Amino acid sequence: MMSATDLAVGQPPSRRTRLDGRSLAWLGVAPFFLFALLFLILPTGFLVVGGFQDAQGHFTLANIGKLFQPSIRSAYWISIEVSAASAVGGAAIGFFIAYAGVIGGLPRWIRPTLITFCGVASNFAGLPLAFAFLATLGRTGLVTALLIRYFDFNIYSTGFNLLSFWGLAITYLYFQIPLMVLILAPALDGLKREWREASAILGASGLQYWRYVALPVLWPSLLGTTLLLFANAFGAIATAYGLTGSSLNIITIELYAQIRGDVLHDQNLGYALALGMIVITGFSNAAYIWLRGRSERWLR
Amino acid sequence: MRHSRIGSWLAIAIGTIYFLVPLLCTFEFSLRMRRGEYSFDAYRIVLSDPQFQATFLYSTALALATILVGVLLVVPTAYWIQLRLRRLRPVVEFITLLPLVIPAIVLVFGYLRIYNSSSLLPFTASEAATNLLLTFGYVTLALPYMYRAVDTGLRSIDVRTLTEAAESLGAHWPTILLKVILPNVRVAVLSGAFLTFAIVIGEFTMASLLDRPAFGPYLQLMGANRAYEPSALAIIAFLVTWASMGLMQLLGRRPGDGR
Amino acid sequence: MKKSAWLQMASGSAMAVLASAGIASAQSLDALVAAAKGEGQLTVIALPHDWCGYGALIDDFKRKYGLKVNELNPDAGSGDEIEAIKANKGNKGPQAPDVIDVGLSFGPSAKKEELLLPYKVATWSSIPDSQKDADGYWYGDYYGVLAFEVNADIVKKTPADWGDLLSADYKNMVALAGDPRVANQAIQGVFAAGLSASKGDVAKAGDAGLKFFADLNKAGNFVPVIGKAAPLAQGATPIIIRWDYNALADRDTLKGNPKVAVVVPKSGVVAGVYVQAISAFAPHPNAAKLWMEYLYSDEGQIGWLKGYCHPIRFQDLVSSKKVPADVLAKLPSADAYAQAVFPTLDQQSQAKGVISTQWDAVVGANVK
Repeated sequence: MMSATDLAVGQPPSRRTRLDGRSLAWLGVAPFFLFALLFLILPTGFLVVGGFQDAQGHFTLANIGKLFQPSIRSAYWISIEVSAASAVGGAAIGFFIAYAGVIGGLPRWIRPTLITFCGVASNFAGLPLAFAFLATLGRTGLVTALLIRYFDFNIYSTGFNLLSFWGLAITYLYFQIPLMVLILAPALDGLKREWREASAILGASGLQYWRYVALPVLWPSLLGTTLLLFANAFGAIATAYGLTGSSLNIITIELYAQIRGDVLHDQNLGYALALGMIVITGFSNAAYIWLRGRSERWLR
Repeated sequence: MRHSRIGSWLAIAIGTIYFLVPLLCTFEFSLRMRRGEYSFDAYRIVLSDPQFQATFLYSTALALATILVGVLLVVPTAYWIQLRLRRLRPVVEFITLLPLVIPAIVLVFGYLRIYNSSSLLPFTASEAATNLLLTFGYVTLALPYMYRAVDTGLRSIDVRTLTEAAESLGAHWPTILLKVILPNVRVAVLSGAFLTFAIVIGEFTMASLLDRPAFGPYLQLMGANRAYEPSALAIIAFLVTWASMGLMQLLGRRPGDGR
Repeated sequence: MKKSAWLQMASGSAMAVLASAGIASAQSLDALVAAAKGEGQLTVIALPHDWCGYGALIDDFKRKYGLKVNELNPDAGSGDEIEAIKANKGNKGPQAPDVIDVGLSFGPSAKKEELLLPYKVATWSSIPDSQKDADGYWYGDYYGVLAFEVNADIVKKTPADWGDLLSADYKNMVALAGDPRVANQAIQGVFAAGLSASKGDVAKAGDAGLKFFADLNKAGNFVPVIGKAAPLAQGATPIIIRWDYNALADRDTLKGNPKVAVVVPKSGVVAGVYVQAISAFAPHPNAAKLWMEYLYSDEGQIGWLKGYCHPIRFQDLVSSKKVPADVLAKLPSADAYAQAVFPTLDQQSQAKGVISTQWDAVVGANVK
C-alpha cells in the first residue's frame, strides 16, 4: 500500500505533509466509537452488570446458571430456528426480487416503486403485521374464507396453521424481504454491465457468469445482510407476541416477561437473558466472519 | 445481451401478491366499522383528530434529523474502516448489530439513568435537549440498517482507487468524503435513509418514555383498545410513509439521472 | 383504673394523635391545590384511556385544576412502572412518573424497595383494611372480576360457566387477554378457571387451571392469540377471558358491531385488585397527592365506576346512596359479584409460581 510520502514525491511543493494515514483513520472513526459508547454501550452497561447481580445487588452467577434450564434453552433454540428460517428465506426471496427490480430489464418505474415500498414494508412489523396476517390467513381470514367459498378448499384441512412456527416465519418474511431488497439493490448496481458483456464475449453462459463473476463479488454483502436479517428476527418480539402469543416459547417473550411483565418480575434474570442474546449475536457475527474469510480465500 | 424477462416479471408478481394481499385484507377489515356495510367511518374518525398532523410532523422532523446525524456518523466510519482499519471491521459490525437484540426499553431506561436532569449531561432538563437525546436514541436504533446499507454500497465501488485518484489530484479528506465518496454511495445512503425514516415514524417505546409528542405514541393511544381504527391507522400510516419516501426519492435524484 | 391499663390507653391515644398529625395525613385541600398548581404538572404512566374510564378522569382532572398531565407509555405493565421509577430516580423532568397504578403484589414489593411515598387520602378510613397498606404506602383503587367477552354474532350459544368452554361448540374460539407468563389478566384467568374446576379450593386452583387449559387446548378450543377488540371483531378470538371492565368498555366502543355479550361465570369468580401509590422520587409530589384526593373522592370513585371498574369504596358509596342509578344500571347485576373471591397475596404468588413455570408445557407448541 502506498503511503502518503510516496504520493508526495513529485507533487507540487505547496502540498503540505499530511498526517500519517493511519492516525487520520483512527480520528475519523473516533466519533462513531464515542457515540456508540455514550448511547449504546453505557446504557447497556446496566444490563451487563445487572445480569450478574441478584435482587439485592450482590454479585452472583445464579442468573447465568438459570439460562441453562431446559425451558430457557429451548426458548433460545426456537428463536434461533425462527430467525434462521426467516433470514435465509428472506435473503433468497429478497435476492430474486432485488435482481428482478434492478437488473431484470423491467420498465423504469418498477425500481423506485419497489424501493420505496420496501422502505415502508421493512418496518411494518408488530401488532399491525400480526393482525394483517390473521385477517388474511387466519381461520376467519379473508383469503381463507374466499378460498372456501369459491374453490371449496380449506387451507386448514391440509394441516396448515398460521399460528405455528412456519406461520410465524412466513409472517416475519414481510419485513425481512424488503430489508434484503433495500440493502442489496445498491450492490447489484455495482455489478457493471461490462462484466456481463465481457464474460459473454469470452463464451460464458449466464450461469457461469453468476458462479464465477457476480456471486463472488456479491457474496460478502449477501452474507452480511443475511446476518442482519437473522439478528433482526432474533430481536423481534411484538409480531410474535401478537400472532402466536403464548404458544411459541421464544426468548424475547421470556425477556419481556421478566423485565416488563406483571407476573414474573426477576429483572436480573431478564438482564441475563439479554446477555445470552448478545452472546448468541456475537457468535453469529463470528460465524459470518469465518464464512466470509473462507469464501474470500476460495474466490481468490 | 437480452435475457428473458419472464423470470423478473414472475418474481415481481409473486412479491406483489405476498405484500399487497395482507394490506388489502387489513383495508377490508377497516371498512367494516359500520355494521353490515362498507364505509370509511374509521378513516373519518382517525383523520379528524388534530393530533394526527402534529405528531406526524414532529416525527418527520426527527426522522430527517436522525438521517442527517446517521449519515454523518456512519459514512466516514465505514469509509475509514474499509480503507485503513480492516481489522476493526468485526468490532464495528458487532457493535452495529447490538441495537437489534437489546430491547429499546432497556436503552431508554439506561438513558434516563445516565442522562437525567441531575447528571453530568442533563439531556432531560429541557425539551430541546430531550429532543436531541431522542434523536440520538433513534440514530442508535437505525445504526444496524444504516451501517449495513452504506457498507454494502462502499463495497461495490473501488474505494481505494477513488481515494488515491483524488489524493493524487490534491484533495484532502473532507473533499474526498464529500465530493468523491458520498455521491458514489448515494443510492446506498438513500436505502439507509428510507429504513431510518420508517423506523423513526413508527417508534413508540423511546418517544413515550421520554415524553415526546411523536407519531408512535399517538398511534398507540388511538388504537389501543379499538377494533377498526387501528387497521385504518395502519393503512394511513403506510400510505403517508410511502408518499414521504417517494418525495425523498425524488429529491435525492440527481438531475439527468436515468435510473 | 390500673396503672398498666392507664399507660396502655395513654400510649394508644398518643399514637392516634401522632398518626393523624404525621406526614401521611391529608392536608387541607386548598393548600394542596395551591401547592399542586405551583408545580403545574403531573406525570402518570400506564393509563390507557379506555381502561376504567381513565381518559375521562384525566380530562376532568385537567379541567378542574388546570394542571398539565404528562402521559407516559399507556402500554406499560406493572413491571415497567416500577422500572420507570427506578430509572428516573435523579430525574426531575417530565419523564419521571409521579404516581403508579400497579397489580396488588407490586405494592408491598415496591414498598420494600423504598420506591414509594406514604400518603393517606381524606377518605382513607372508608377503604377496606385488607386492600391497603397500614402505613399508607399503597392503597387499593379498583377491582373487577374475570368475565367472558363474547362476540355474539359469531358465537350462537353464549357460555355461562367455565365448564361450558370445553364443549365442541367453541372450537378455535377461546382466548386469554395476554400471555400468562407476562400479563396479570391472563394468569388470573387461568387461576379463575382452576378455582371453578377445583370447586373453590384455592390451594389447588393453580394446578386445576393448568389442567383446564390443557384440556381446552387438546379439544382444539384454545386460540393462543392475545385477545383484544380487533381480533374479537375480526373473528380470530370470539371468546375472550378478561376483566369485566375491559369487556364492558369494548362493548361500548364497538357500538354493536359486532354485538358483544359480557358474562360473569357462575363459578370461579375471581376479583383482581389494583393499587395506587406515589413515587418516593416524584418531581411533583403535591400534584400527585391532589390526584389521589381526586381519585378517592366520591367524584373520582364514580368516575371509575363509569368505566365499569368497581371502585374500592364501592360498598361505602352504595350504602350512603351516592351512586347514580343510571351508572349502577349499566353494570352486571350485583349477584354475580356476591361470590367473588379476592385471593390474598400469598395465594396469588403460590398460584403464580405454578402457572407461570408450567404454562409452556401445557400449551406450548412443543406439546403438539
